[in-house]
Amino acid sequence: MKILIIEDEKELAYNISVYLSDENYLCEFAETFQQALEKIEVYHYDCILLDLMLPGGDGLKILEELKKQDKQDGVIIISAKDSLQDKIAGLQIGADDYLAKPFHLSELAARIYSVIRRKQFGNSNIIKLHELQIDLLAKTVLVNNEPVMLTKKEFDLLLLFIGNKNRVISKSALAENLSGDIADMLDNHDFVYAHIKNMKKKLVDAGYQNYLKTIYGTGYKWEA
Amino acid sequence: MNKLLNRPLKAFTLYALLVLACSIPVYYFIVDYIWRHELDEYNEIVKSRIESGLNKLSLDKDEWAKTIALWNKTQPGTKIEKSLLTESRPDSIYTIMRQKQSENEEELERFRGLSTYIKVQGDLYHLTIEINVEEAHETVFAIAAVTMLFFIILLAGFVVLNRRISTQIWKPFQSTLDRLEAFDLNSQNNIDLEKSDIQEFEQLNQALYQLIAKNISTFRQQKEFTENASHELQTPLAVLKSKIDLLMQNESLTENQSELIASLNIPLSRVSRINKNLLLLAKIENHQFAEGELINMTELVNQNLDFLEEHLLAKNNKVEIEICENCLITANKSLVEILLVNLLLNAIRHNHENGTIRIKLTKRELTISNTGVEALNKETLFKRFITSSTSTPSSGLGLAIVQEIAQRYKWKVDYQFVNQFHQFSIQF
Repeated sequence: MKILIIEDEKELAYNISVYLSDENYLCEFAETFQQALEKIEVYHYDCILLDLMLPGGDGLKILEELKKQDKQDGVIIISAKDSLQDKIAGLQIGADDYLAKPFHLSELAARIYSVIRRKQFGNSNIIKLHELQIDLLAKTVLVNNEPVMLTKKEFDLLLLFIGNKNRVISKSALAENLSGDIADMLDNHDFVYAHIKNMKKKLVDAGYQNYLKTIYGTGYKWEA
Repeated sequence: MNKLLNRPLKAFTLYALLVLACSIPVYYFIVDYIWRHELDEYNEIVKSRIESGLNKLSLDKDEWAKTIALWNKTQPGTKIEKSLLTESRPDSIYTIMRQKQSENEEELERFRGLSTYIKVQGDLYHLTIEINVEEAHETVFAIAAVTMLFFIILLAGFVVLNRRISTQIWKPFQSTLDRLEAFDLNSQNNIDLEKSDIQEFEQLNQALYQLIAKNISTFRQQKEFTENASHELQTPLAVLKSKIDLLMQNESLTENQSELIASLNIPLSRVSRINKNLLLLAKIENHQFAEGELINMTELVNQNLDFLEEHLLAKNNKVEIEICENCLITANKSLVEILLVNLLLNAIRHNHENGTIRIKLTKRELTISNTGVEALNKETLFKRFITSSTSTPSSGLGLAIVQEIAQRYKWKVDYQFVNQFHQFSIQF
């Protein structure tokens, strides 16, 4: 899987690439508007991470260029701008997702995972993992072909874990995934445990072997 | 407060009154002096006429005595007496008050007299001529009355002129004042002042133009600074966050180290929140949010309650909800949602164990209350970076944002401490 990171902050681009490298992703970098244009013209990427404020131009222009050339690359905007208007503008031009800085790498990895799945499998987007079967479109989960009723939040958590296999996800990242923007305003993150406990119980009850490990004091890890 | 033009009016009026009051004795003395002087001259003329008239007559002693007696009877203003003196004395002039003779009234009349000696056919006669003069108090009264009349005319003139001047000449000043009052630094619109052909006003306008232009540019710079600084901070924060995520993947970490690393996320989130809130405040101030749309408040409140349900019910809280059906308001939906979430989260965060949270929505008002121990300082509650609670870390901007949003729509935000409840209300 090829990923293009269009980001002028080298450190951030590097960190993203390190985090993603375990997962068979191959990362390339573009630091300026011009570099980015050159790369998207020549190569195809499974997913492009696009910063909007670039030296040399507006990131949205790159997105427009992609659409003009009718490229099917998945695009996730990663931007410091996080107002609703910015998000709507980005998604309207054709971005697949929008993630405001600062974000957790686990969140980014899960989004990349989803975008690539959506692009590759289209209508029959089913993830099979051991005894687990997840239908991304219908948002249903089967364990040993038996349906498990997960709440929306539990389903989102499951996707976050699947998108970050073998990596530690911090409580903070889980809280942000569960309550979005307001996570940092909640001083009590106990609700994270409650949701994970419920999700785990439902899956275990249906016969799934426990792949989700608690990393004491830090977070959780899905071992596969 | 006094109006500007009333001050000189008062001073002018007092001064005019003073001058006119002083003029009364002056006029009196002048009039009296002229009066007496003229009468003295008149008496002298009468004297010389009598003297020459009598000298022309050729009468014997008896006839003479009769004539004089007759004279004294028929001419009440004059009196001729045979003088015992041999030598004539110098004339003397006097003023005397005398009882009025003709009428019954006991009124004193003032007379101006001349006492002189005349020589008629060799004999010396003492002649007194007296003429009625206007009494002093009558003169003073007449002068005072006239002066008062003029004073009233003057005063009326001042008031009319003052009114006319204030409406005409001060018109550009008034217009400048009105426009200054209407000026809003936040709107970033330059002010347009009325041109004036009066030098001072034009000077004032120029000075105001400069001052306002400078203010606007400073204000803009300051806001741009906040916005840019917030944006610029997001990227290093993103780097920091990603580093922590990477570090956490390290398998050789001890449990202690892992915990330390994970705990870094909390202050990091807080910095990020403060940053986002500052940016939000700058944007609200900059009017970067689209104008209003019709929002179904009932739906919005219910959605957010669903979203926050688990947090509302944490700490064993009791939630009492009273929401009107289909309540609509016009505002920017994002802003109203931010306001709502901020108030709800505040109620959640600052509530204690087994507390109660009350949410009440009517057509005109939203009230969110939570149990509390003592009243908060209303003065500083809505100010930036002033947190009233030490127990929980916060951005210190939540209520400032609530106030800023409310202000934008001219809603009234209120805080009250009623029956052990912190009660925040927004009146639409």
